[in-house]
Formats: sequence, C-alpha cells, structure tokens
Amino acid sequence: METLYYIILVPMVYVAFATFFIGTAVRLIKIFREPSHPATLQIYPEKKPRWLWALHDTFLFPTVRRHKPLLWVFLMAFHICILLLIMGHLELFGEIETLQLIPHEIFLGQGFVGLIASIALLYFLFRRFISPVRELSVPEDYYLLILLFLIVLFGSQMDWARRWYFYEELSVDHYREYLSSMLYFKPYLPAEVSDTGHSFMLVLHVFFANLFLMFFPFSQLMHSFLSLPMNKLRRG
Amino acid sequence: MDQQTRDDLLKLFQGKLNEAMRFYLETCTRCGVCTEACHVHASMGQVKYIAAYRAEIVRRLYKKYFKGRGKVWPSVGEAKELSEMALDELYDAAYSCTGCRRCMVYCPFGIDTQMLMSIAKLLLVGAESEPEILTLLADTSIEKGKSIELFKENFMEGIKRLEAKVVSKWKMEAGETAIPMDVEGADLLYVALAGAHSIIPAAAIFNAAGENWTLSFFEAVNFGAFVGDPTKSKLILDRIVNEAIRLKVKEVCICECGTAFRVMKQLAGKQPFKVSSITEVHARYIREGRIKLDKNKMDGGVTYHDPCQIARNAGVMDEPRYILKHLTDDYRELTDDPRYNWCCGGGGGLVAMGEDTLDFRMKSSRVKVDQVNATGADILATACENCHAQLDNLNDHYKMGVEVKFLSSMIADALVQDAQP
Repeated sequence: METLYYIILVPMVYVAFATFFIGTAVRLIKIFREPSHPATLQIYPEKKPRWLWALHDTFLFPTVRRHKPLLWVFLMAFHICILLLIMGHLELFGEIETLQLIPHEIFLGQGFVGLIASIALLYFLFRRFISPVRELSVPEDYYLLILLFLIVLFGSQMDWARRWYFYEELSVDHYREYLSSMLYFKPYLPAEVSDTGHSFMLVLHVFFANLFLMFFPFSQLMHSFLSLPMNKLRRG
Repeated sequence: MDQQTRDDLLKLFQGKLNEAMRFYLETCTRCGVCTEACHVHASMGQVKYIAAYRAEIVRRLYKKYFKGRGKVWPSVGEAKELSEMALDELYDAAYSCTGCRRCMVYCPFGIDTQMLMSIAKLLLVGAESEPEILTLLADTSIEKGKSIELFKENFMEGIKRLEAKVVSKWKMEAGETAIPMDVEGADLLYVALAGAHSIIPAAAIFNAAGENWTLSFFEAVNFGAFVGDPTKSKLILDRIVNEAIRLKVKEVCICECGTAFRVMKQLAGKQPFKVSSITEVHARYIREGRIKLDKNKMDGGVTYHDPCQIARNAGVMDEPRYILKHLTDDYRELTDDPRYNWCCGGGGGLVAMGEDTLDFRMKSSRVKVDQVNATGADILATACENCHAQLDNLNDHYKMGVEVKFLSSMIADALVQDAQP
C-alpha cells in the first residue's frame, strides 16, 4: 500500500505534469503554426474594439446566457470555481503574497467553492443523459465529467473535513512541505500526508487529477486555450 | 473503399487543415447550445441536423486519422473509419447544410459549421460522389472563362435584345447604349447573372444614376463554392478579377447573389478595385441624390429577407433597410436582430440542384415560412437569386400569399424619371 501511495503521489504526478505541459505546448504549437485562413470568418454586424468583444465572448459566454440561461448559471459558477480552486492549489505550494492581497484562509470560500463545482459537474453530467445532448455526446465527454467530479469530490472532502469537521491532522503546512519538495525535485512525503486517516482521499484525489492532466492535451479540454482565438475569429 | 482511394481522400482532408480548421475540429464540447440554431433541425426535428452533430461527422474522421488518439484509443471520441458509409453520412450532413452560419451565432466558441462542411464537400468531390449538376455547372463556368471569344458574340447579341426593355424602364438620351459592354476605363464593372431579371433593372438604375458602367461577360455565381472545390472556385473567381483588371475599373459590383458577393469580397484578396454588392451601390445612389424613388409604387407591408451570405456573413445590413425606407412607409422587420434571421433554406447549392432537393427544401424551411407569415407583410423582398428562388418555391408550396421581389427591381420600378441629373 505504501508503495502504491508513493507511486501515485510522486512519480505519477511528475509524469502527469510533464504530459500536461509538454503535450499542451506541442499541440498548441502545432495548431498555431498552421497557415491562417485566407478570408475573414467573422459574423456581422461587427462591434469594436474587436479584441474586447472577443474577450467578452470568451469569458462571459453571452451566447449561452441568451439561449440556455440555466446552463449559463452553472457554467459561470463552475468556471469561476475552477479559477478559485487553481488559486487555492497554488497557495498550497507556499505563501504567495500577491494572492493574499485580501487575506484569506487557504482555499477561499469556506468549502463552498468545491461544493458548488461538484453540483455544477453533476448538472453537466445529467444534462448529457437527456436528448438531444445525449445524442451529441461522445464517451470522452462523460469520462471527463466523471473524472472531474471525482477529483473535485475527493479534493473538497479534505477541505470540508478541515472546515466543517475540525479535522486537523492534515494541514496546509503539510501540503506545503510535500508540494514544495516536489517543485524542487526533492520529493519528500511527510507522514501526515501519506499516513493519516484522510490520506486515502488525498491519494484518490491526486490519482484522478493525474489521469485528468494526462488526458487534457488530447481532449476537448483544449477549449480552454482555443476559445479566445476562436472568438477573435468570429469577431473579425 | 480501397486503401488508395482512402489515402487520396485523406490527402484532401489534410489540405483543408489550416489554423482555423484545427480550432474548429479540436474544440467542440458538445454542449448543445447550437440545438435551436439550424433551420433544418427547427423545422424537421431530427438530431442529425443539429450543427454539433453535423460537425461531429467530420470530426470523427479527424479523430481517427489526424489525432494520435485515433490509433491509441479511438472509441473515446467515437473516431470513425473513412468508408463508403461515412461518405453517405458526409453527403447527408453537407447537402442538408446551407452554410448560413446561424449556428455560429449560438456557439460559445464560434465554430464555423460551413467550414467543417467544406471538408465534407471536398471529400465528396474527391470520391466523385458530389452532386454532379454542381460540378457540371462549375465546369461550364470555367470553360466559358477559357474560351470567352466563342461566347462573346452570342452574349452581346442577347444583351442587345434586352436593351429595348431597359429603355422602356428608363428613357435614354439618343446615342447612349443602354447596356454598355467591354468599356475600358469604366468606373464600375457590373457582374450579373444569366437572366434578364438580373440585368434589366440594374441597367435602368445605373443609367438613371448616370453611372459610367460596363456589364461583365461572366455570370457572378460561383458553383465551385457550392460544390466545395477550392480550385474551381478560384478559377471562376479569377475570370471576373481578370476582366476587372483588363478594363481598369475602380469598382466591381456584384449582382443580387449571396455566394458570388461573399466569395468576391472575402476571397479575391487585395485587388486594385473595390468590391460592392449592388445593394450597397443602390443605397449610395440614394444617399448621394443620384436617383430618386417614388414611395407610392408599393402597396401593402414590405419585409426584407437578409440573405445569409450578404448580411450575417458579409455585413450588408443597414443598406437594404435604408433603401426600403425610401420605398415604403410600411417596412416590417423579420427579426429584432438580423443575425438571427432564419436562412431561406436554399443556400449551399441546394437551389442550384433544383427539383432533386425541392422536397427537402420545403420541409426544412417551415420556420422561415412562419417567420415571414408573422410579419403579415404582402411583399417579401430579398437581394439574392438563391433566396428569391427558394422563397418563391416556399410561397407556392405553403400558399403564403406574398409577392417575392428582388430589391433591385423594386427600386427600378420606383425610379422617378424627372430626377435625371
């Protein structure tokens, strides 16, 4: 068991991040090195400045708001939660002063960010069971949502335990010890991380996250990088 | 399908993979926001007519042959082998899509279904499974460009016969040619369609405005674009570009034909002349006071169908409305936002395919009929040959009881004679 924990928490994390960074970079370079389309692809009437409207389209999903308002609420909530969670994870590496401009406990939102994200993910998943989205979906879409749900669920469990059930064995400082050692390529697993009551949740969280990161560059998740340039094309 | 054929087709596919195409192929999250966008789906209800579903038919081949995943784990994205059956699916998707790009207004990323369908169309050309009529028409256009001398005489004779009709619409001063052709140094080259209705009203208006114009020998329509053959589209386009350069004109004006205008405007590249649609030119004449229109010629409410390739996809939206305000006091909009206008259902070569597609065109455009009926208008104006033909068919089929008219002929009919400069 110990070996398995170690493999998931150390070598697999390195493999996952390497796949994620190299894979994404290689794929993006490949895509952006293709010749651009010879004609404009924009939709009229046009609004200027174009780049500002492209940003608006990319980050506020106005077309979804107009046509699927309920989906929009969940989409906005989910994407904001993801941003907050990424921020929270960065703070698990060490103190980042710029992120602490407004002082807060690590993982903003008192556990509710993870809760909202999980509910949104369930909504995304269940709406895929209903026609016509069911007919449009391919296995990839389900796998990603299930994977994300598991990641968020196990990750949030640890947060919830600390927030709501006063579980204190595994604290931010232990995470920082573990993650900063990983960052400097001198992996060290504190006993609190690998050998306490909630370690199995951490291991599951990291395991699913590893799978997710490794699949990322090859999946529709590339929309996170391609949405802006595509929206720019539509705005002209 | 044998390996050689498949390899050849995949080479064609590869040739279409530019940056934008890769974006469109990589990105769809199949969120289904585009469900309500397509008029075919809205009218007929089948899932296969949802934009994302059409796109996925092309994307499945991409996932199979152009992504590493296709070899390692094809089932995760339902990657699909290129087979005869896949070609049938591609045909069904591509020739039920009119390329109106209404779905692009819905998509959170702005995926261009028309672009993706152009892959399908090109593969069909490569497999010689495209609608033959479109290729035939494209080849005829190209042939005409190659041997213009053979056609010239006949064409000029035909045009001479039209001149009397132009004069009856607009009194000419003695000695003037009602339909000038081959005029070097003219300001404007008018590219019409083969058909008197595309030439006579336009000529009357040019003459009324005192334009120094000349008629092109070639018809504007680009069948190469309909059939999705980029080489042929370019050859057909080049005939007009070359003529414009030879005659040293300042402006090329494209008749009421959506595809021709968009192809010319957006694909001709940088040229020494500017490209305008005839609607823009007419609006300019009114604005500059070069023609005057009589508002009393029109009876009943008028609505205007924005041709997708001219409005949503090329930006000519204000001009027709400006013109219509000079033609009638009872103008009614089809939609609050012209981006959401339903396609007439005749684009993408469907009208050019004639009777073969008639049944489908009627079934797939029910929402357009509802949209027009809701305005209660008596006259349905438009500025595109394809749209006009399709709307005419719809009018007969659904007994809509409207009069489908070209905007240009409405202007020609309302010209005020004594305003001649």
